[in-house]
Amino acid sequence: MNLDYAAGILLGSLHAMVPITLTASGEVIGESAGLFNIGLEGIILVSAMTGALGAEAAGPAVGLMVGLGTGFVIGLIFGGVCTYFKGVQLVAGVGINLFAAGLVAFWLIHLGVPGHHAVAAEHQLANIATPFGDFSPMILVAVALPVFLYVLLFRTKLGLKIRAVGENPQAADVAGIKIHLLRLLATAAGASLAGLAGAYISVDWLGSVTKEVSAGRGFIALATVVFSGLNPLLVLLGGFIFGFFDNLAVWVATMPTIKKFIPWQFIAMAPYAVTLLVVAGVIGRAKFPAAIGIPYERE
Amino acid sequence: MSGNETKGPSTLNHKNEQVQESDDILLAGKDLCKGFPGVWQHLILDHIDIDLRAGEIHTLLGENGAGKTVIANCLSGFYSLTEGQIYVKGQPVTLKSPADGIRHGIGMVHQELALVKPFTIAQNIALGLPGSDFSFPLPEVEAKVHELSETYKLSIDPLAKVEDLSAGEQQRAEIIKVLYHNPEILILDEPTSLISADADRLFEVLENMAKLGYGILFITHKIEEALEVGDRVTVLRLGKSMGTRQTARTDKSELVKLMFGEHTPVHLDRKPIKSDTIVLDVKNLEAIAADEEPALQGVSFSIREGEILGFAGISGNGQSELAEVVTGMRPATRGRVIIGGKDYTNRSPREIIRAGVAHIPEKRRAMGVIEPMTTAENVVLKDIRVAPFSRGSFVNKSQITRHTNEIVSRFGALVSDLWKSPARILSGGNIQRLILGRETWRIPQCLVAVYPAQGLDAKAIDHTWELLMRLREAGSAILLVSEDLDELIALSDRIAVMSKGKIVGLFEAGEATREALGLMIATGGKSSTSKKG
Repeated sequence: MNLDYAAGILLGSLHAMVPITLTASGEVIGESAGLFNIGLEGIILVSAMTGALGAEAAGPAVGLMVGLGTGFVIGLIFGGVCTYFKGVQLVAGVGINLFAAGLVAFWLIHLGVPGHHAVAAEHQLANIATPFGDFSPMILVAVALPVFLYVLLFRTKLGLKIRAVGENPQAADVAGIKIHLLRLLATAAGASLAGLAGAYISVDWLGSVTKEVSAGRGFIALATVVFSGLNPLLVLLGGFIFGFFDNLAVWVATMPTIKKFIPWQFIAMAPYAVTLLVVAGVIGRAKFPAAIGIPYERE
Repeated sequence: MSGNETKGPSTLNHKNEQVQESDDILLAGKDLCKGFPGVWQHLILDHIDIDLRAGEIHTLLGENGAGKTVIANCLSGFYSLTEGQIYVKGQPVTLKSPADGIRHGIGMVHQELALVKPFTIAQNIALGLPGSDFSFPLPEVEAKVHELSETYKLSIDPLAKVEDLSAGEQQRAEIIKVLYHNPEILILDEPTSLISADADRLFEVLENMAKLGYGILFITHKIEEALEVGDRVTVLRLGKSMGTRQTARTDKSELVKLMFGEHTPVHLDRKPIKSDTIVLDVKNLEAIAADEEPALQGVSFSIREGEILGFAGISGNGQSELAEVVTGMRPATRGRVIIGGKDYTNRSPREIIRAGVAHIPEKRRAMGVIEPMTTAENVVLKDIRVAPFSRGSFVNKSQITRHTNEIVSRFGALVSDLWKSPARILSGGNIQRLILGRETWRIPQCLVAVYPAQGLDAKAIDHTWELLMRLREAGSAILLVSEDLDELIALSDRIAVMSKGKIVGLFEAGEATREALGLMIATGGKSSTSKKG
């Protein structure tokens, strides 16, 4: 019984970990290259929408890919604005969030029931049944991805280049690296992972789209990146911690005994409170690339 | 290019230029012009010709702002040229990026080192290598760095992180990074600015490399280095080439003339001081420096109307702090600052400005202007609160434009436009002209001038000196801080020598000579007072 509980909580936490780890892993690539994308929240939201529609049209795998592609396109726009056009990253990112909130709310009205769109079970990604509940294959992706990114960033020349344009773009320029192009591709690759996270939420995990479906996970992912100090392996750990608290509220809601003493809404606050605490505790010591947030100009 | 190719040029006697033929010229620039956006009418490079031969060290000498770094950046492909043509071994080339430069065998060591600090040296080098992005060439790089380090006696550990290295080691790491690409041409931009103690070591390395047939373009603002290192020296002044000399056949005085122009100090007519009214009275002043050490230890002096009191001494002996305390920017821990009979000790800079104190600050870019703001905004910075520049909450743009135009033309500042370009793009000399104009157009009651002529060319120095004398005539009390003894002797009515936060000697205008001042500055006043008799 107790083991079942523990396994249930673990499984729930892993499911809740996936979108945060995916998004944060992507953001690690972008921030390593010097671009800080505060628009992840918006990318998750839009991709949850497009992913759901893609899944309904051509199956869950396509839905996930559509989410990924949506993130990539938004990332390209963000990256273009912030590299070649020397835009302010914070403003461009906030723009994505505002655009996403408006677009998804509007789109949901057109899909019938305002504010909510359920993805039918046959369009959702098939999970593996275990004695303790369903297990999504995306969990495996979320665990493997940070390991892959760690190797990419710290064990390949491409990784060196990405970190160099974030740390000292002038030096990278002298070394013959195309700063703007590399930064653009890095942030777009990162954004596409946020898109994948969005599609996972609607096509797999929650199976629905609402105008608040992202629920601050883009911002929590940013906090996870701070926690990780741009190390993808720590993103995995951070993602799990946040996933655990995210899942906690759901779990409490199903436990009548605890619910009597603590309202589940109070527990639902946990992931955000933990985010605040982690960021407050870590941010002073976190080491970011020296040139993060600064558009590069040669002359 | 290492190996067999290096042997050829090394057999030539590269000190003897006449016998060299033009096909030894590795790199040449003809009619190089560069104007940055917004300052087109003031060319940063103005039709410059330069060439670099195999096996020689060619020194590019000039003051800050002369355009040395810009030439280097153009020749290495980092900047694009506005006009002109670059030739590599006689072939015209267009360099669009540093990668193009590397491809043509041109390597540049930047003044602000182009190293990624958290990376190791090997990682920094691996960055610039061709080959697959998914490869991991580090072991190979480490081996070659070892080899290069041995060959050129650079003693560099490829696995050391850049941020852990001393300035001299970083400099040598940068050279290795450039050498890794087998350049034939090496451009070094002010390589000794960070490593004055280690410079000899670097010169040895460079001379070795020249013997191996490299062409080396060495940039410096230090005349001594130009005479010590190079085979030829080209002097730049304000974006123009002042000519090329063979190092063996020139000397310091000729180079000084080429660098700064002939500066025969104007004869300054000094009328006796008319007034006994004391404008600035400083009593027993003490203050703490930024490093928490005592900066001023009981400084007392007074300046009368129409008097210039010069402060001599090696910088860092309390002169900066004195100027800051008088202008309200640094608190006094003891003592009094009395301006026009009223106590202004530790009052705000704004109150002190209102009391009629103008300030030509030491750090012109950091303290003198707000770099992202425009020329007009900077010129009116201190007067913006008063009519006619503003009424109530609104600024009067046409009045500010008229006023700025007047100051710009009167002080001969080269600015592109008044309201568009930021002050950041102006040269140091032009910024100084704007500051001089802003601080003196209204004839201040008291002027605190810290290194007022720094970075100006000979003509502008004359103008500045004349300006200070005119203000003196008009009754300003002037506190002049300078390291230039000629300037102090030419301008000051009295000269105080500062050492370790104290005034250690005071000279009247007539008795101050370079020798007496120099001796007192060097000894901190310990022996000179008795010798002077």
